[in-house]
Amino acid sequence: MQYTVPKSLKFTCILLLILSIPFGLLAQDANIPVKGKLIDGTGQPLPNVSVALKGKTTGISTDKNGNFEIMVPNKNSVLVFSSVGFQTQELVVGDRQNFDVTMANSANTLNEVVVVGYGSLQSKEVTSAITSVKPEQFNKGNVTAVAGLLQGKVAGLSISKPGGDPNGSYTIRLRGLSTLGANTQPLIVLDGVVGANINSIDPNDIKSFDILKDGSAAAIYGTRGSQGVIIITSKTGSQNSIPRLTFSGYTSVENPAKFTPHMTASEFKALGKGTDYGTSTDWDKEITRTALSYNLNLNLSGGSESGTSYSASLNYRNNQGVAITTGFNSLNARLNLMQKALHDKLVFHVNLYTETKNEDLGYDAAFKYATIFNPTAPVKTTDPAFDLSGGGYFEQNFIDYANPVAVLQQNSHTYQIKGTIIAGSGEYEFIKGLKFMLRYAQQNTSQYESAYLPRTSFFNRATLGNGASAVSNLSGFARGGYGYKGDDESFNQLFESILTYNVKLKDLNISAVAGYSYQYFEYQGTSAGGGNFITDASADNLSSALDFAAGLGNVNSYKNANKLIAFFGRLNLNYQDWAFLSGSLRQEGSSEFGQNNKWGLFPAISGGLDINHFTKFENVNNLKLRASYGITGSLPIGPYLSLEKLSTTGNYFYRGNNVWIQTYAPSQNDNPNLRWEKKAEFDLGLDFSMSNGRLTGTLDYYNRTTSDLLFNVTVAVPPNAANNTWENIGTLKSYGFELALGYDVISTKQFTWNTAVNFSTYHVNLAQLNIPNSYVGATNLGTPGQEATQITRAVAGQNIGILYGWKFSHISPTGKYKFVDINKNGNDSTDIADQTVIGNGLPNFEFGWNNTFRYKNWDLNFFFRGSIGHQLINTFRAFYENANVATSYNIVNTKYFNPNITDGQVFSSLFVEDASFVKLDNATIGYNFNVNGTKLIRSFRAYLTGQNLFTITNYTGVDPEVRYLDPAVGTTPNNVLAPGVDRRETWVYTRSFTFGVNIGF
Amino acid sequence: MKNRQIIKFLVLGTLMISSCTKLNEEDLLYGTVTSNNFYKTDLEFAAAVGAAYTNLYNIGGNNHMIPLNEVSTDEVVVPTRGADWGDGGHWVRLQTHTYNPTDPTPNNGWNFLYGGIATCNRVIFNLQPLGTPQSLAYISELKALRALYYYWLLDLFGNVPISTDFANTAPLPSNTRQQVYDFVETELIANAPQLPKNGPGDGPNYGRMNYYTCYAILAKLYLNAQIYTGTAHWDKAISACDTIINAAKYSLMANYKDNFAQKNQGSTEIIMAIPQDHVYAKGFNMCMMTLNPLHQNTYNMSNQPWNGFATIQEFYQSYIDPVQNPGPQGTVTGLDPNGTPITGTIDARLSNFITGPQFLADGSLMKDNGADLTDPNGPPVTFTPYINELQPNAWRQAGARIGKWQFYSGMTTDLDNDWAVFRYADILLVKAEATARQSSNWNAAVTLALVNQIRTRAAVTPFASLTADTFLAERGREMFCELFRRQDLIRFGKYNSAWRFHTADADAHVNLFPIPATQITANPKLTQNPGY
Repeated sequence: MQYTVPKSLKFTCILLLILSIPFGLLAQDANIPVKGKLIDGTGQPLPNVSVALKGKTTGISTDKNGNFEIMVPNKNSVLVFSSVGFQTQELVVGDRQNFDVTMANSANTLNEVVVVGYGSLQSKEVTSAITSVKPEQFNKGNVTAVAGLLQGKVAGLSISKPGGDPNGSYTIRLRGLSTLGANTQPLIVLDGVVGANINSIDPNDIKSFDILKDGSAAAIYGTRGSQGVIIITSKTGSQNSIPRLTFSGYTSVENPAKFTPHMTASEFKALGKGTDYGTSTDWDKEITRTALSYNLNLNLSGGSESGTSYSASLNYRNNQGVAITTGFNSLNARLNLMQKALHDKLVFHVNLYTETKNEDLGYDAAFKYATIFNPTAPVKTTDPAFDLSGGGYFEQNFIDYANPVAVLQQNSHTYQIKGTIIAGSGEYEFIKGLKFMLRYAQQNTSQYESAYLPRTSFFNRATLGNGASAVSNLSGFARGGYGYKGDDESFNQLFESILTYNVKLKDLNISAVAGYSYQYFEYQGTSAGGGNFITDASADNLSSALDFAAGLGNVNSYKNANKLIAFFGRLNLNYQDWAFLSGSLRQEGSSEFGQNNKWGLFPAISGGLDINHFTKFENVNNLKLRASYGITGSLPIGPYLSLEKLSTTGNYFYRGNNVWIQTYAPSQNDNPNLRWEKKAEFDLGLDFSMSNGRLTGTLDYYNRTTSDLLFNVTVAVPPNAANNTWENIGTLKSYGFELALGYDVISTKQFTWNTAVNFSTYHVNLAQLNIPNSYVGATNLGTPGQEATQITRAVAGQNIGILYGWKFSHISPTGKYKFVDINKNGNDSTDIADQTVIGNGLPNFEFGWNNTFRYKNWDLNFFFRGSIGHQLINTFRAFYENANVATSYNIVNTKYFNPNITDGQVFSSLFVEDASFVKLDNATIGYNFNVNGTKLIRSFRAYLTGQNLFTITNYTGVDPEVRYLDPAVGTTPNNVLAPGVDRRETWVYTRSFTFGVNIGF
Repeated sequence: MKNRQIIKFLVLGTLMISSCTKLNEEDLLYGTVTSNNFYKTDLEFAAAVGAAYTNLYNIGGNNHMIPLNEVSTDEVVVPTRGADWGDGGHWVRLQTHTYNPTDPTPNNGWNFLYGGIATCNRVIFNLQPLGTPQSLAYISELKALRALYYYWLLDLFGNVPISTDFANTAPLPSNTRQQVYDFVETELIANAPQLPKNGPGDGPNYGRMNYYTCYAILAKLYLNAQIYTGTAHWDKAISACDTIINAAKYSLMANYKDNFAQKNQGSTEIIMAIPQDHVYAKGFNMCMMTLNPLHQNTYNMSNQPWNGFATIQEFYQSYIDPVQNPGPQGTVTGLDPNGTPITGTIDARLSNFITGPQFLADGSLMKDNGADLTDPNGPPVTFTPYINELQPNAWRQAGARIGKWQFYSGMTTDLDNDWAVFRYADILLVKAEATARQSSNWNAAVTLALVNQIRTRAAVTPFASLTADTFLAERGREMFCELFRRQDLIRFGKYNSAWRFHTADADAHVNLFPIPATQITANPKLTQNPGY
């Protein structure tokens, strides 16, 4: 059945597209020219004020001098002038053809449009916790991924990417953790495309973000709303506007800002416990460089009188990583096209997004090895005793140890990522206020991984491939060269039909939405890896690897699919702009759940009241109290979780005389009752605006309960056939406060100073765990020798984020580790019963503080960001801050180093550090050149941005950023129940300076 | 174009989509195999039966059976070598008998054994409705195989739940050791007659349960009956051995080490083999556990070995000491920290160890450029039977390594040498011991004759007389690292005695491993063994 659907869909869409061409010609007669100039209260011209026809979704903007020209259909047309910071004005055209309008400072952004699920509202109408972020608020500098724009900007939205890996991904967490085993990242909606890849659009092309934070706002997205929703709106063109070309470009210089402290060659020699090879090498310096990057962005937008508007852009990025041999280049292209027809009753949208990206990943382990490689050893050697693999590099046979320069220089590892989104919609207004829309969107992403470990590469810890097909501990030298190629393809298609109705009944504004949504997801991939090459020259020809002939190659392929079907509706009521009510309902089903529980119901209700309507406080423009309640769900991490699965065992059944057959064994028990994880959230909020918008603020308190937590539970064998079953096992409860304040401290014609602060705090408690295990989510310290050392856990009744182990007491006179003997049984060194909570990986609160100054043509912006109260396990110290490891490794040397320790390393609270920090995340100084006299150039701005200028912290590792999840590959990769572990693969922390220009033509 | 036509398109499209609300995941399976689309053909059943055997393929791995049965004894030790092999102290706890319910190794063993049992139960459950001769044969075979798993559980943990019915999903309480003993005995006696009576050698039944394997298990069961149940059954042990011996299908190989060669399928001595193969049957990684990383060059290996497992000096000494082991004298690796060559007994079974200077593939001396500063001979890699300390800084080169299974050029992490679960030599020694214990006479003629068959094959001097201690030492030399040492030491009352790296145990509760904490958590009806 699902195969017929897409075909008919495509057919419909193509037909609609074809039909749209003649409609364009039929567009109405826009024949009255109107022009004018917009100024502020001080008489200054106002550029970029939106001028639109009422009832139309698009319009034009004033130019640099505040001038505009627009064609209107008739005398009854109403012009709407709006701009951030000013009160929106509506004027009937009448007989006027020249409008010189003075815009009054707006009380706040009450009339600003906020995009909500399947529609938009004016800011004042919003009854749930939604935060909008505009480009002027975005993080500045060389921000190469969309999430980076938002880091620290929204109260309750935690975004983290420790270290300076240009190819690393951000962890995004809204209001803390609200799931155990489901997706933890917010849902992305890009121009209406639900479930879009956040990186399918370039940061330059974004017009606004709207973050749906509470359950009520997100409930319209049902099963995917629990982690919140980030709605991204891309830049659009304006109807009746001359073509505008905007160029922006920057170049950026990035340097390592902090390395893991370790002994220098002379300190290592002085210690006298390790071998001195006679030279002095700064391994950190050897594997890093000053990274140069640049970005070019070209945007063309405009619109015709015949109802067409468009925005098209090209982005090219070339980004070096600070680690030698790493970086990426990417090319994005985007097109937004709108065409109106049938007297503006029919509106077509076509949106295209494409991305191609080539990443040179390198190997993160190089940073670990640069820290621990013997500082007296040379990079290169001709001595066969040390040139162990014939590559000319100095190598030694210690566990998890390789020459970091060789790791990066010899081995290749690349990703080639290609993505497209093709989206189209048609909307028809049957009667005034009643619109019907059909939308089709299709997203394709392909990721091609390619790696080669040459015959002379000693490095023996390479991991290649993803998920179940990942192969670890690979070595080019050991395998006679090892080649890997893997392709992962994802495809999804979305079909939605939406009916909206807006009507005003006396004092009551009613807007209603009803819709149907169908989404189909398909994933497939193939990978092959094998070794034993005659020559490195045939690296890309896997068939030349002997391993495949010998049965030793690793070959994998997979395909899986799932679908989501939903019916939804929402009703918004606005009474006289001071009382607001909203209710929504979504019924959604996913193929991924047990056959008894495919469908879930997700209701929400919210209301708001402008108290100022009654109280009329002096100087208060708006004081809105709102309350909301909503239920959302979470999708599980993959399909088939409710079925009894059989898998090949990896070994074959011997039938004698060298005949073998494949074997199958249960790999997952069934659970036909597997059901949705449901999050119920209550949010109480207050929005206020004072002194004509000089001071604005939002305060939110929320309380959420996620029940039926999904988790892959380890069960007893027998009675079970396999040792794991997906079950709904417990309840998470959390609450938190969020505060956002904005204040125009100084606002004069010459000089303005705006300051904005946001603050959030949350507590997530694992209230209930309905399985026999007393804890879940343990992660281990790792190799060498600490593979069985558990360092985290999530315990029923306690907050998420527990760091676990012995509480360090002192070093005995003989140099032994002594721990607090909690149970007072006299054993203060090896008693497992003494292990306890020794830290918390999640912060007590997080904040962002932004300041913008403008003086004449100059502007200055700086942004502080901080997280307070979290701890990190410094795994570098836990392994190497011990003089006894000098026989193999260099010593990590922080203020905690104690040369008197005679024990081997034993994990304890000694290696847990407070990692509270405040960072000057970015600061920008810019200048807008006067280009009034120039015809060609509309605007010209140049700026200089510094990122990560300084950090205040007591943490001794490279980056005190919160680790929201533990990436360690193993039984539980990306373990969200194990925050707070600073792994040794973390890239160094970097600082960068960016110089850029924006030119409007 | 009229409005109506547009509306028609829109409505039509919507209706076509809206009618699709089916969410059946069975339609979207692609490569996923579920119980609903499997168990249809004979081949699929064979593939399922096979899984009960493939579970055994990592019997020789580093996670469960060797650690539990050998690292807990004087045969094998895993010293902490600086930053390596610390592993949270669990290797040391095995050696010092301070293992606890949260240690990984007992849990790995439990999962290994019960994993096999669950597969047997599951496949029996799926086969039962068929009623074909083939299915009945498979059921008997799987029941016998299940009994082998239970025999190991009986030996390691004692009081374990007996699960036989896949359909019964209720958590089961622990059974007594006596009940487990009775179950194993009953199942083997009942199912053995249905199994083939093939002898050694490659063929369709190679590597699978047969009649004689059942009796080999019974011989072991009865030999240890006094430990397991308090009641000795020496006569039954002798009888079970005689069933195998009198069938005259098995015989001692002329060369001891041929039983452990890369290609040992032709051994006439192996009663039950577990096939091992670097492509088809992976899991036996002794080469990785014991060799030095630089042996990668020597053997042209695909990976760097891990430099861990070694034997203990005293155990090695029981081979070369002319008093303990009289025989021809020659040059052997000595016991001092340098491993200086000395004169000692040349026992054919010294092939069990790798000692002395090591060499690369081109014949040059192996040099470890990272040798410990305190290593007495510096960079050259010399495997010395002497081990300086158990932890934390045992020298990288310290300890005689386990060379029993032939290492060969081109090894991967998984050896091709098939694993012998039961060997004819062992059956001879079981009979010898049972006879001696039944008659309370270690110098019984039958006993001496059987022991001296073994010694003669090893090219050492036959014993004129025996004691319990000298018999145990002979068993050790012959059966080194074949998963019997813990059982033997317990039977001879030595498991709790002191040896190097192991001080005498305060009491004998350590003779059973703790029921793993994670298992008790998953099934609260389990009873922890005494003393934990």
